[in-house]
Amino acid sequence: GVFAHLEMLEARAHEAAVKQEETEQQEEKLARLKARVQELRLQRDELRAKVDLQQKGQLGKEGVVSDPAQPSARAVLEWKIKSVKAMLQVFYLTGISGKLTKRGVCFCISTAYEGTYLDSYHLDLLTKAEVQIHRHSVPIFIPLEQIAKKYLQTDIRRFLSVLSDHLNAYAGRRYQADQLQGRFSNRIEGTLQRNSLCNLLVFNYNVSSKSKTFPFNARLLYGDLCCSLPTEVTVSCTPDAPASLAEMAAAHSDLFRRVALHKAFCSFSSAEESVD
Amino acid sequence: MDNSICQVYEDEIQSLEEEIKLLAEKYEESQQESTFFSDEEILMSIKSFQREFQGQSKGHESPSDLKAQLESLETDLSFLMKFTGIQFTSHSKKTVEKTTNRTVRKHRLSGNCHSLSFQLEFQLLEMQNKETVSAVITDLSIIMESGEDSDVSKFVSSTEEHGNLLTFFRSLSSYAEWYEHRRCTFLHFK
Repeated sequence: GVFAHLEMLEARAHEAAVKQEETEQQEEKLARLKARVQELRLQRDELRAKVDLQQKGQLGKEGVVSDPAQPSARAVLEWKIKSVKAMLQVFYLTGISGKLTKRGVCFCISTAYEGTYLDSYHLDLLTKAEVQIHRHSVPIFIPLEQIAKKYLQTDIRRFLSVLSDHLNAYAGRRYQADQLQGRFSNRIEGTLQRNSLCNLLVFNYNVSSKSKTFPFNARLLYGDLCCSLPTEVTVSCTPDAPASLAEMAAAHSDLFRRVALHKAFCSFSSAEESVD
Repeated sequence: MDNSICQVYEDEIQSLEEEIKLLAEKYEESQQESTFFSDEEILMSIKSFQREFQGQSKGHESPSDLKAQLESLETDLSFLMKFTGIQFTSHSKKTVEKTTNRTVRKHRLSGNCHSLSFQLEFQLLEMQNKETVSAVITDLSIIMESGEDSDVSKFVSSTEEHGNLLTFFRSLSSYAEWYEHRRCTFLHFK
């Protein structure tokens, strides 16, 4: 009885002590967080003021209103380093960039579709003896070995140029297919079938004519791997479709051969809107 | 109940830290973009920095580290210019917009490819989405020295219209090589 009662009191006291400690810790944490917020607010306000002054052109090089003609030697060097780095980054936009390594060069081939830059691919070349590809990130379905066999030993520039043609064409084809799937999913029936190289596309799409929709099937073959337009296009409609639709299918077939896929679909949408 | 106050503070801390990072970057970039030092000034700074530094060991990089870094970068740059045939003679950029996920910069670039010179202006939009950074060119404007040639001007307008900066450089490279080859051949027969 008494002993059990004492135990219970002890347990309660212990619980109360633990709770007290928890509360104190919580309060400490809150106080710390509050202080940190004040500190950061101050820092932020100072920076804002600095940036504002800078915009007004009153600031010298050291972040203090000073004679702008006296930057430190270190600051000048650091400026130059950043400047050269920026120039190297511009090379990325040209399609071929890279850096020298102990045993050769590591090239970077960038790809783009019009103004949109897509994936880039790396090739680590050893150039001490004969030129060798040490490592690369070129996808397996690009005929890298073939191209290397033809050009790598005799003309590295040509090798990179031809490889870049392949990679950019592939990136362009993939971009068009992605755009079609992304922006015109409401027109595509079922899934858009494509191979890894994106040089064979098969899909079904809807065409509206006089408030009725008809299914078309399109098969695009890109025979030239350095080209992002198809070499063979077949557009077919159902056998029982009206004759006007057969004409439309032929027109679409011609369009797909001349115009990028997603742009062709853009023109369908606007043509239909103007008719309705 | 206390936890929610903690959360409010923690959220504000995170947003302040992001804002501070952004402001610091804005400040650095603006400094960089509005400054210019000539090659002589650079050389003088290298010498003066090496003198200043003797005997001190701060936490920063030593002048020889910075000098080595600069030399390595310049070697890479001169290799690329020689290899691709594209020589950039000047480059300037200005940050027009900067938020956590989006940066827009205006670039001015001039140079030549073999004997063909060009001047470019464009806007580069970079967006951070999850792990990837996307880059898009807009407002591309190209001035070419041989702009009177109708083929060249047709090529230039179509490139400008679609923002085809990459194609411009790749075509320029092969056109310039062909042009140079033709010029040499012509001279040979003179």
